[in-house]
Amino acid sequence: MDFPSSLRPSLFMTGPLGLSDIPDLSFMCSWRDTLTLPESPPQNCKTAAPHSAKALLWQPAMPGPLPLLPPCPDPWDPGVTAQDLLFRGGFRYRRQPQAVLDVTEQLSRFLWDHGDIAFAPLGKMMLENFRLEGGRNRSKKPVVSAKRLLQDLSGHQPWGCPWAYLSHRLRRFSIVGGPVLGKSVSRLLGGLLHEELATRWERLLLDEAFTGGALAWLPGRTPQVGQLVYPAGGALDRLRFQDVILTSDSEPQVLGDPGCIQLQGPVRQVVTSTVQGETLLAVRSDYHCAVWKVGRQRRPAPLQVLQVEKGATGISLSPHLPGELALCSCSGAICLWTPQNGLQQVYKDPETLVFRDPSPWRWADFTAHPRVLTVGDRTGVKMIDTQGPPGCGLLLFRAGAEASCQKGERVLLTQYLGQSGPKSLPPTLHLICTQFSLYLVDERLPLVPMLKWNHDLPSPALLAHLLPLASPGAPQPLFLGGLGGQVRLLHITGKEASAPQLAGPPQSVPSPADSLSAFPLLEPKSQKQLLERLEAPTIGLASAFPPCASTPAVWLFQLSAAGDIFYQHLTLQTASSLHQDAGPPSDPEPDCPVPRTTAPPVDQRPIPSWTTGATACCSRWLEALLQVPSAPPVWAAPTFSHRRLLGRLKHQEVEGKVLQGLRAAMVGGRLLQQKDLGLLPPAELPPAPEPGPQDELSERLEEAWEGLATAWWRKQQGKAPEPGKQARRPKRRTQLSSTFSSLTSCLDLPDTASPPPTLEQIPTEARLVTPYSQESAEQLWVRGVHSERQQTLRDYMAKLPLPKSTPAPEHVAMPSSQASCVQATPSRLPTPGSQPQRKRPRMGF
Amino acid sequence: MSDLSEELTRPGSDGDQVETCVVSGAGMHFPWLRKHLDSVAAGGKKKKDFAQTTGACLSLAQEALLQQQWPRAAEFMYSYLQTLEDSDSSQRQAAPEIIWKLGSEILFYHPKSNVETFSAFADQMKNIGVLNYLKISLQHALYLIHHGMLEDANRTLSQAETWRYGEKSSSQEILINLVQAYKGLLEYYSWSKKKMELSQLDKDDYAYNTEARNILSHSWKTSVHFSALIKTPGVWDPFVKSYVEMLEFYGDQDGARKVLTNYAYDEKFPSNPNAHIYLYNFLKRAKAPRSELLSVLKILYQIVPSHKLMLEFHLLLRKSEKEEHRKLGLEVLFSLLDFAGCTKSVTAWRCLASYLRQTLMANHLGWVQEEWESRRNWWPTFHFSYFWAKSDWKEDKDLAYEKAFVAGTLLGKGCKYFRYILKQDHQDLRKKIKQMKKSVRRYSIVKPAVD
Repeated sequence: MDFPSSLRPSLFMTGPLGLSDIPDLSFMCSWRDTLTLPESPPQNCKTAAPHSAKALLWQPAMPGPLPLLPPCPDPWDPGVTAQDLLFRGGFRYRRQPQAVLDVTEQLSRFLWDHGDIAFAPLGKMMLENFRLEGGRNRSKKPVVSAKRLLQDLSGHQPWGCPWAYLSHRLRRFSIVGGPVLGKSVSRLLGGLLHEELATRWERLLLDEAFTGGALAWLPGRTPQVGQLVYPAGGALDRLRFQDVILTSDSEPQVLGDPGCIQLQGPVRQVVTSTVQGETLLAVRSDYHCAVWKVGRQRRPAPLQVLQVEKGATGISLSPHLPGELALCSCSGAICLWTPQNGLQQVYKDPETLVFRDPSPWRWADFTAHPRVLTVGDRTGVKMIDTQGPPGCGLLLFRAGAEASCQKGERVLLTQYLGQSGPKSLPPTLHLICTQFSLYLVDERLPLVPMLKWNHDLPSPALLAHLLPLASPGAPQPLFLGGLGGQVRLLHITGKEASAPQLAGPPQSVPSPADSLSAFPLLEPKSQKQLLERLEAPTIGLASAFPPCASTPAVWLFQLSAAGDIFYQHLTLQTASSLHQDAGPPSDPEPDCPVPRTTAPPVDQRPIPSWTTGATACCSRWLEALLQVPSAPPVWAAPTFSHRRLLGRLKHQEVEGKVLQGLRAAMVGGRLLQQKDLGLLPPAELPPAPEPGPQDELSERLEEAWEGLATAWWRKQQGKAPEPGKQARRPKRRTQLSSTFSSLTSCLDLPDTASPPPTLEQIPTEARLVTPYSQESAEQLWVRGVHSERQQTLRDYMAKLPLPKSTPAPEHVAMPSSQASCVQATPSRLPTPGSQPQRKRPRMGF
Repeated sequence: MSDLSEELTRPGSDGDQVETCVVSGAGMHFPWLRKHLDSVAAGGKKKKDFAQTTGACLSLAQEALLQQQWPRAAEFMYSYLQTLEDSDSSQRQAAPEIIWKLGSEILFYHPKSNVETFSAFADQMKNIGVLNYLKISLQHALYLIHHGMLEDANRTLSQAETWRYGEKSSSQEILINLVQAYKGLLEYYSWSKKKMELSQLDKDDYAYNTEARNILSHSWKTSVHFSALIKTPGVWDPFVKSYVEMLEFYGDQDGARKVLTNYAYDEKFPSNPNAHIYLYNFLKRAKAPRSELLSVLKILYQIVPSHKLMLEFHLLLRKSEKEEHRKLGLEVLFSLLDFAGCTKSVTAWRCLASYLRQTLMANHLGWVQEEWESRRNWWPTFHFSYFWAKSDWKEDKDLAYEKAFVAGTLLGKGCKYFRYILKQDHQDLRKKIKQMKKSVRRYSIVKPAVD
C-alpha cells in the first residue's frame, strides 16, 4: 500500500482537551479542506481552474423522506422529556441556564400518587410496635392507638383533597409524631428517586444504546433487490426481514410480508457484512448477542447466541474473515467471537483510555490487519494486537490537544471505513465522531486526524455509513446521522497516494420531520401524534446503492424508534458552480471520470416538491396511524377516596350493550357516539339552538341592518340584567336536557322503566362522555350515586391516565373535577366541558 | 486593553463548565443541552428580540449552506452581520469567527463570487477584532494560491508576517511561523520555476548568469522561512520536502540530512511515515551505505509494515549476508501480506513464493514455521479460501499461481486453494503449474500423511 506522499500541514501538540493556547488550525472551513497545495509549482497559473470546487450535490427527489411501510400497530410513547425531569424556571439571573433535576416535584407527585407505597410500610410497622401509653401513675389506656389512626387513614388519602376530613386524632398525632416519623422514609425515597431521575436525564441527553444503528440492508442477488433488517414491535423485540425492490425512478416496492424472528429483548444494533460471498447478520440486544448466517434463499440460519452479563455495548463483524465478530461489554472487556471457536477475550480494562470518564460505554471494531482491533471509549481509541501480549497497544485517537478537541468533547462513535474496493479510499481509515466534529484517522499515522469537520449536528451522531464508489475515482458519499433524524452527507475522496479530503461542500439530507408538509392538516391532537411520530429518534440508517442506474442514485432508509421506516431517493448532480463565467472549466483528471449529468447551475436547480403519489402515500399512512391506539397510561392515580367510597358498595353486574359500548369508548379514550352503540335507530337530530335572546349579536346585526340599532340598544339597556340571565339559564338547561333525552330515549336500558326519561335517569355514561353534562352531574352527585354508575365510574377511574404536565384532553380532565366536588361546593373549573356556565361576551364595544 | 485581550484569548466561558457539571457530573459537553433547557424554561430570562433574530438568521444561513443554496445563505448572512453590534459581549466576540467561517464558505462557492469579492471580504474581516488577523490572512493566502494568484498570496503573507499585536504570545508565534513557512513555499515555487527555465537555457547564454545569480539569492531567504516552523512539532511535509530540495540543490547535504533526521526522529513529532520515507529517499539519492538504509527502513517497518517500500526493504535484506537480516526478510513479507490492502499484490506474492523456496532450500524450515505459527489459524481463511481461489483465478492468473504455490507450501497438497488452481487447465500456465506441483511436493512444510 502506498502512503499519501505529502500530508497537509498541521500542528501537533500534546495535552489535555481544550488547551487554549494552541492556535487551532482547524479554525478552518469546509472549503479549506478542498484546497490542496500544489505539489510542484503550478505551471500555468491563470488557467488552472480549481477542479475540486465542483459543487457536488445529492439531490433528494422529495422535500422529505416518505414512510415505506404502514405504521407499526403497536402504540408508541415518546417517553419522558426534559419537561418532566427538570426544574422549571428559577434561572432568571444566570447567563447560562442550568439543568437542575426537579426532585421535589417528582417526590411530591410520588407521595400524592403512590401514597400507599410511600407510607403504608411505616404504618404497618407502627401497627405492631407502636404504643403511646400514659405515664405509670395513670391508667394504662393508650393515649394514641395506631390501629385507630390507621383505620382513619385506611383506603384513602386525606391529603388528596383539601376538604377531606381529618380527625382530631390524626391531627394530634401528626403534630406529636411528625418530627420523628417523617424523615427516614422520605430521605431514602428522595435518594433513590434522585438517582433514578439522574439516570433518566443522562439517557435523555445521550442514549448510547443505539450506537451503530439497528437497521441494515442486505443486498440481494441483483442490485435492485434487497432486504431490510430491522426490529419492530412496541418493544423492538421482533427482528424483521423485509424484501424491497428498488426501481430506478419511482418509490421502492415492498415485496410480501416480512419474515419475523421473535427475540427476548429489544434489538439495539443490527450489522451485516458480506465476506468472501458469505453474508452474516449480527444483532446486539442489551444482554444478548446473536449471529445468523444468511443463505442463498436469504433465509437466516441462526449460528450462535451469547449472553453478556454486564451488558453488551457494541458488536461488529469482521470485513476480512467470515464469521468473526468483535464484541465489547460494559465491564470493559473486548472479545473476539467466532461461532466455531467461541469467545476469546483480547482486552480488558475497566478504566478509560486517556483520562478518567465515568461512562462504561466501549466500542470495538476491526482494522486493516485482521488480527488488530480498535478499542474505543469516550476518551479515545486504541489499536490492540489480539496476538500480542495483553494490555499493550497504540493510541489511534486521543481526545486531547493532538486533535485539537474542545473542552468536554467525547467520542460517540468509531467506525472502520475499510472493505472498499480498489481506487477508493485506502483501507486504513477510521471514522471517529464526537458531539462536535467528525475525524478521519489513518491507522498508519495515529493521533493526527487526516480530516476534521465540524458537523454541528443538534443531536448525538451515533450513525454513520460510507457508501461504495459511484464510479471509479468519484468521491465516496459518507452519511452521518444524528439520533434526532438529521443526516449530513460528505463527499470524501482520497486514493492511496493522496490524503483523504472533502470533495465538495457537505450537505444536509432531509429528516423525517421535514415531511410534515406532505400530510394533510389535522386537528391538534392528531397533529401532535403525527409530529411525535415523525420526530421520534432515528435509531438506524441504511442505504442501498443500485450501481446500474444511469445517474448515480442512493436510497437512504431511516428507522425511527417508533418502528417506522422512512426512505428517500437521492441522485447525484454535479455542477461547476465556481467561475462559470471565467472560461470553460478544466477537464477533470483523466482517471477521475466524475459522472457529469447536465445539471443546471446550483441556484437554478428545481426545488423538490411533493408529488401527488407521495401525498397520497402519506395520507394512507396517516389514516393507518390514527387507527393505532395511543399508548396506554402507565398508571393512573386515584385522586380521591372513591376507593373507599365505592369499594364498600357491592358490585352490581350490569349488562347491556350500552355499557359495553361505553367501556370500549372509555378504553379508546374517544367520544361515545350513537353509531358505537350499534342497534340504535337513527335518532332525531338534536334541536338546533333556537335563535333565542342569547344570540344578541345576530339580533343586533339584524336590527342594525334595518336601521334600528339605536332603538335596540336602548331596549337592551332598559332591560334589567339579572332577571335576563336567570331567565336564560333554565332555557339553556332545557335545551341540554332535551339533547340528552333525544339521545337516551332510544336506549334500551334495563333499569329504566317505561316513563319518559327524566334528567335524573339519564345514565351517567352519557354525561361522562358528553362534555355538556357537568351541571346536571353535580346535582346527581348530591343526590347519591346509582349502583350501576358506581361500577362504571370505578372502571372509568381505573382507566384514568396519569396526569401529566401537558394539558390532558378534556374528557380526561373532567371527571376528576367532578369527583373532587363530592363533599364540597361545586367548583367550576374552566374546562371546555363547562361551557354552559361561561359568560357570553358582553355586548357593547 | 491588555485585560480585554486576556479575555479574548480564553475561549469557552466558565459558564459552560458549570452548566454541564451539575447534572451529568461527567464533564461531557452536550451541544443539545440548550435545546432541552429551552423547552423547559418557562420562567427563565427570555432572549432579547435582537438575539432571537440574529440566532434565527444564523441557523437559517447554516441550513441554506448545507443545502448548497448559496444566494439564500448570502442573504441571511447579510442580516446576520447585525450581531456585530450586539450588546452582549460574548456574542459579539464569537461573531467574527462565525462570520468568517460561514462568509468565506459562501463566497467560495457562490456562483457570482470572484476573487476580488473574496479578497475584499477577507480584508475587512481581518480587522474586526484583533485575534483573527493571522488566521484569516493565512486562509486568504491559501485561497489565492488555490486560484493560482501566487503574487497576491505572497503580498498577503508578507503583510501578515509583519503584523504584531501586544505581547507576542506563543500561539501568535506559531501562526507567524506558519505564515512564514507558506511564504517560503511560495518562494520555492518561483525558485523551482526559475530553475526549470534555467535548465532550458544554454549555459553560454548571457541571461544564464543573471538567472543563476537570482536563484542563488533565494537560498538564504527561504531557509529562514522554513527553519523556524519545522522545529515546532507537527506534520510539515510540503515544507520539509521543498526545503530539502533547495538545500540539496545548493549542495548543503549535511543541512538537508539534519533537517530530515530531526523531522523523522524527534520524539515530540508524531510518528509520520513520510518523515522516514523522505529520509530514506534522501539517503538513497546520497548513495548512503546499505546499513544506513536498512536502519531507516527498519523503523519504517515498525510504523507501517504495509508500505510498498517494504518490498524494497525485503530485497535489501535478502541481499544481506547476515543471517538475521535474511530471517527478517521473510518476516517483512509475511507482515506485508497480513494487511487487507496488500492481498492482491502480485509482486509481494511472487517475492514470498521465491523467497520461501530459497529459504526452504537453505534448510531454514524453522524460520518459516515460526512465521507460520501465528498465522496458521487465520491465513487459510483470509488468503487461501475456495472463494479467493475462484475469484483470483478469474481476475489475475499470475496472482493465483503465486498464491497457489505459497498455499501448497504452507498448507500441503490438500489445501483447497492449491487443489483448485491445480485443477484448472490453462494452456499457457500448464507447464508452470506442473512445475509448481513438483516444487510443492518437495518443499511443503507439511509432511504428507503416510498413506
